[in-house]
Amino acid sequence: MTKKNYDREETLKLGFAGNVVEKKVKLADDQAKPWDLDTKFQYAGKHIPRFDGLAKASGRAKYSYDMNFPGMLHARIVRANIPNGKITDIDVSGAEAIPGVKATMLLKKVGDRVRFDGEGVAAVCATNLEIAEDAMRAVVVTYEKMAHAVIVDDASKDGAPIVDKGDTNKSPESVNINPREVSEDEINKRFAAADAKVEATYRTQVQTHSALETHGGVAKWDKDSSGNPTLTVWASTQGSFSVLDGLCGNLKLDRSQVEVICEYMGGGFGAKFGADQPTLVAANLAKKAGAPVKCMLNRKEEHLAGGNRPDSIHHVRAGATDGKIVVFDVTNYGTGGYTGGAGARNIMIYDMGASRKVEYAVKTNCGPATAMRAPGHPQGSFVLEQVVDELAEKLNMDPIEFRLKNDRYPMRKAQYEKAMELIDWSRRNKKGGEGALAGTGPKKRGLGVGASTWGQNGNRDGTAMAVIINADGGVEVRNGCQDIGTGTRTIIGICAAEALGCPLENMKVRLGHTRDPYGPASGGSVTAPTVTAAAKDAGHAAKLAFLDKISKKLSVDAAKLDISLGKVFVKDDPAKSWNWHDACKLLGVETVEVTKERSDNFRANFSGQVGGVQIAEVEVDTETGVVRVIKVVAVHDAGLVIDRLTFESQILGGVIQGMSFALFENRVMDRKSGKMLNNNLESYKIPGSLDMPEIVTVAFDISNGHNSAGVAGLGEPTVIPTAGAIANAIANATGVRVRSLPMTPDKVLAALAAKGGSR
Amino acid sequence: MTDSPANDEREDLQNAFSRRRFLQTLGAAAAVSAAPAIANANAKTSEAEKITIPPATPLGEVKNFGPGEVDVKLKINGIVRTLRIEPRVTLLDALRDRLDMTGAKKVCDRGGCGACTIIMNGNLMYSCMLLAVECQGAEIETIEGIAPEGEFSTVSSAFAKCDALQCGFCTPGFVMTITHHLRNEKNPTMESVKQSCRGNLCRCGTYNRIFDAALLAATGGAGLPNTTEKK
Amino acid sequence: MNRFEYLEVTTLEMAGKLAAEKGAAVRAGGVDVQDLLKEHLIEPASVVSIRNVPNLQEIKAGENISIGPRVTLAQLAADRAVASKARAIAISAGEAASPQIRNQATCAGNLLQRPRCWYFRNEELLCARKGGPECLAHDGENQYHAIFGNKNCAIVHPSNLAPALIAFDATVKTVKVGGARREISVAALFVTPETDIHKEHVLEPGEMMESIEVPAAALAGGAKSAFAVVREKQTYDWPLLCAAVKLTMDGKNIKDARIVLGAVCPVPLRRENAEKLLIGKSLDESAARVAATAAFDGATPLAQNGYKVPMGIAMLMRAILEAGGLS
Ligand SMILES: Cc1cc2nc3c(=O)[nH]c(=O)nc-3n(C[C@H](O)[C@H](O)[C@H](O)COP(=O)(O)OP(=O)(O)OC[C@H]3O[C@@H](n4cnc5c(N)ncnc54)[C@H](O)[C@@H]3O)c2cc1C
Ligand code: FES
Ligand code: FES
Repeated sequence: MTKKNYDREETLKLGFAGNVVEKKVKLADDQAKPWDLDTKFQYAGKHIPRFDGLAKASGRAKYSYDMNFPGMLHARIVRANIPNGKITDIDVSGAEAIPGVKATMLLKKVGDRVRFDGEGVAAVCATNLEIAEDAMRAVVVTYEKMAHAVIVDDASKDGAPIVDKGDTNKSPESVNINPREVSEDEINKRFAAADAKVEATYRTQVQTHSALETHGGVAKWDKDSSGNPTLTVWASTQGSFSVLDGLCGNLKLDRSQVEVICEYMGGGFGAKFGADQPTLVAANLAKKAGAPVKCMLNRKEEHLAGGNRPDSIHHVRAGATDGKIVVFDVTNYGTGGYTGGAGARNIMIYDMGASRKVEYAVKTNCGPATAMRAPGHPQGSFVLEQVVDELAEKLNMDPIEFRLKNDRYPMRKAQYEKAMELIDWSRRNKKGGEGALAGTGPKKRGLGVGASTWGQNGNRDGTAMAVIINADGGVEVRNGCQDIGTGTRTIIGICAAEALGCPLENMKVRLGHTRDPYGPASGGSVTAPTVTAAAKDAGHAAKLAFLDKISKKLSVDAAKLDISLGKVFVKDDPAKSWNWHDACKLLGVETVEVTKERSDNFRANFSGQVGGVQIAEVEVDTETGVVRVIKVVAVHDAGLVIDRLTFESQILGGVIQGMSFALFENRVMDRKSGKMLNNNLESYKIPGSLDMPEIVTVAFDISNGHNSAGVAGLGEPTVIPTAGAIANAIANATGVRVRSLPMTPDKVLAALAAKGGSR
Repeated sequence: MTDSPANDEREDLQNAFSRRRFLQTLGAAAAVSAAPAIANANAKTSEAEKITIPPATPLGEVKNFGPGEVDVKLKINGIVRTLRIEPRVTLLDALRDRLDMTGAKKVCDRGGCGACTIIMNGNLMYSCMLLAVECQGAEIETIEGIAPEGEFSTVSSAFAKCDALQCGFCTPGFVMTITHHLRNEKNPTMESVKQSCRGNLCRCGTYNRIFDAALLAATGGAGLPNTTEKK
Repeated sequence: MNRFEYLEVTTLEMAGKLAAEKGAAVRAGGVDVQDLLKEHLIEPASVVSIRNVPNLQEIKAGENISIGPRVTLAQLAADRAVASKARAIAISAGEAASPQIRNQATCAGNLLQRPRCWYFRNEELLCARKGGPECLAHDGENQYHAIFGNKNCAIVHPSNLAPALIAFDATVKTVKVGGARREISVAALFVTPETDIHKEHVLEPGEMMESIEVPAAALAGGAKSAFAVVREKQTYDWPLLCAAVKLTMDGKNIKDARIVLGAVCPVPLRRENAEKLLIGKSLDESAARVAATAAFDGATPLAQNGYKVPMGIAMLMRAILEAGGLS
């Protein structure tokens, strides 16, 4: 990374309508003015169809799973069919004897441990998938079986089977007290003295990412002109460069020998960083067999080994006095599979007075957890939002009024107001289960709210964009990162066109080739803030270079020229202008090619977080326990809105996945055999068309000034508050709380029965 | 079972605990069951059953394919293609792996998600649940066939315009479903559209925009964007 | 799927012969056979398709209704005569699976499909039905399992169609290897685990279904019917419970009743005790509740599926009222 000089100063107008502040920021010499509330945009902020929408909707977009080459082989991975044990023998001879089988490899050795049903042991490749499947089944692995534990309760008992290593499955407890000087005694005292108290246990389930494109890739070896091996890998990934590094490390190659390509990818949600096992298998088997190899997981493998969101059990004590939360005391644990690690976050939104959080993880003989869309947050939010609601209820306060008293964030206040108006919050039952909205029949309606927060981020070091302007007027921006479906390609194009001044229809964006400049992994909601600022900076640099070049042909000083609305013009004589195409023709046989590294973030931003509010309306059939979500209003900010269409799509996706987490999804493990029972998309349930509520999305415009584009990330915060909002709406409809996810009919009926009857 | 020499050996090597026994028990079901006195049966078989023995009818011919690779002729998007494949190859794998027609996606491979949706003889089907060999003689339509090279169908264009997609992996399946629905439903409504795509799943969460796209396309796509594709 | 030869025949008898003699798996729509092959739950050397057997895909509706064995669920759901004369049958077909599956799945195949229990469907697990020592659902994950007749095996019968057909006293006509034909009531088609834990129906190997018959008597007298389902998600989900109700009404009075529950027992479960409580009564909410409650008498829920009882009572009560035109 080059060290930049920031000497210029600019004043930016930041904030949102009704709450505007001015802040000074330092800029590099060649940096354009950052975008703020005063910027007049040509494209940004409009509803712009994504650049690759037609390619995808016509089936012509080629995903990694779709890559085919002459002579390509298909690989399958042999997986452990026991949850815990030691390998005593691996015999691949039967597989190798099958005609059409080209290579096999071991992923484990005799004596190695397997720690979950589905762990990779060996791999085979053959001329077609059917034969590869035969070969996979012909590999014989024998094990010395060991006792296992696949759920937290079993694994945390005294004398439980040891899942992996050591003498316990439990990680040490971490204890966090906030503020630090508060004593445990004080926590207990505050709880004892609080006006309103909640003491309850909440559970959330294990969720699998279930991206529709499974993990894996296609590997193809070639030789460069001097005969050295080169490797090209088409990977389904959200981190093209981390796959590159992983391949280089695994195969002892240097970066010049390897290219990773991911032009389109079918979903990741956090499970697809780095070179994963199937991709490494493809590369290694391709080398061994001397032919391209495709290795994609099937749906069952994806569930078993493709990652998951850990479950959680929260024991909570919380108290409020005078409308203020005074104490929040939680012990939380869960399982992230055999690798451990299971955090849940739940104390970032409200001022908690004093809080204590005791947390630990329990290893189980299950596939390892990986980051999943807002890791830790949806599970923590489900708990926190219900606790807050329960406190409000006990204080006889409106839950939003109560939240506002404990939430200092000005944007969220405005967002609550917007959301309340859009759903007509006044309809809410004043008492759970009773009111006009709940009605008198068996199907009762209610409203519930949840809020979200996310850090401002986005400055993956080294991110740069290449911009190429051709004499035919075409402009191409190149970056090696990938678009996981959030619209990365499109917002890069919009920002670059906006900064360069060229017509949007002349803009193309090439993503997902690691020979292009470095770009970020799609994670942590940092991609948009990273790439939009980079695209703006590069677009601006390209503009300067382009004007420099054509100024000579126009005999006008470059400093006097500018570009806007597809026209090159003389600044102090705007009537003197050339349209984009004519100006580009002046390049003749030349092109303009600029690679520009992204400028750094500013410290003087409007806010350190992004916010969101969701209100759900549900209908609970109190006789069958079935919950239907009727409507969700979701208001989210994430800095400047570049493409309103893809911004709203992110909110829709977050709400739908949040609803799915709330009502349907659940990895079901069989304790006795240690196997996942619903390893498909039939009984691992994700919602479909008839489950959809009406969803009202509000892209809450704000200028944050965090970076030169003023953009923040959105992917993760949108999924956080939905489950809590739905749970609160169920309580509002019925007067009973369901404290366990997913909130399936059996649990709703049980909660109603505990209260005494269904009506 | 298979004609590969390794097969017998393979059977022996099978991690044996369940399958052979299971197959035997399935075979054992062959034993004729006398009319059972079912504990909570709904009627008594013996009473319910009338047996007649008519004259024997001719049994007809048997057409035989495989085992091993055979020629399979498939009519896809109006063009007949001959593939050399085993009878166990699914239509989806034939399309994707043999014909490089990768619009239909493989997601669950068990008829649970709709990503592999195609139209066969005018009916919406999951190509993963069909054997290629049994689709001979049928008119198969895939997403590759719904618009000429370089052009885009009204439905695809409506999806792009409404942003009815995110990662796009479920999208070809939904486009086929909506295309089929609009061909067959004279007055599509929000409700009919929702009903039509009951057999398709989207993980990114694009449903509401798919409904919008379907209803936009139903109007003939008035106001659809131009059809230039960008990469 | 293992390697197999694929055969096409032009008569059901030939398909039956190949099934009996070669152990061939018979493919009608092929939905269930495809799943079983993919999961290696069956590994036949031959698969025989009856797609080219003529005249199996017709619905003939007059006084009675005769349904060809290869009539698809989609066809049945869309048939006007069926919808008007035997509404529950049409709805049971239309509520099954998804549009794509319904276009492929046949009525015969729907009745004869194997259970969906997740222990049974997992190749690596050996449950009682597959020759193992015990029902794995008993001490396992049994939230979707049977609440009746679950002592030896707790599968629920998966067919949507079966309860509706039983409510209409339907029969199936079959032809055995060698040409003998018989007609069996759908109610008697299914086998409880106590009779034979390894199979779900009484057809002999090679015995082929030639048609499904809904008798005129069941359609006469303006029989009204309803089919109800409760699911966790409203799109593409197996029923937690379903029920077919058929009422023959005389004004507000119930002359005759049929109540058949699905997804509660290893076989579709007719509840004559509940029917009796309706017959001769005037239909109202309380009569419906009494009958619905009785229908779930004697349930023996497992650890995780007790919810099916209150849920089922509510569902059935609504279905009874709906059948009688009171909802
Ligand atoms: C994801 C999914 C969800 C589903 N959801 C539901 C649901 O909600 N409700 C529901 O009811 N079903 C559901 N099904 C099951 C589906 O309806 C059945 O698999 C289908 O009806 C079987 O019919 P088929 O013609 O495809 O049968 P096939 O697979 O062709 O045959 C099934 C069995 O019937 C035998 N058979 C078929 N025809 C004859 C004949 N004429 N004579 C003798 N034997 C014959 C076959 O030999 C085989 O043993 C679902 C299936 C899937 C994959
Ligand atoms: S891949 Fe065919 S339905 Fe999912
Ligand atoms: S757009 Fe990603 S699965 Fe539907």
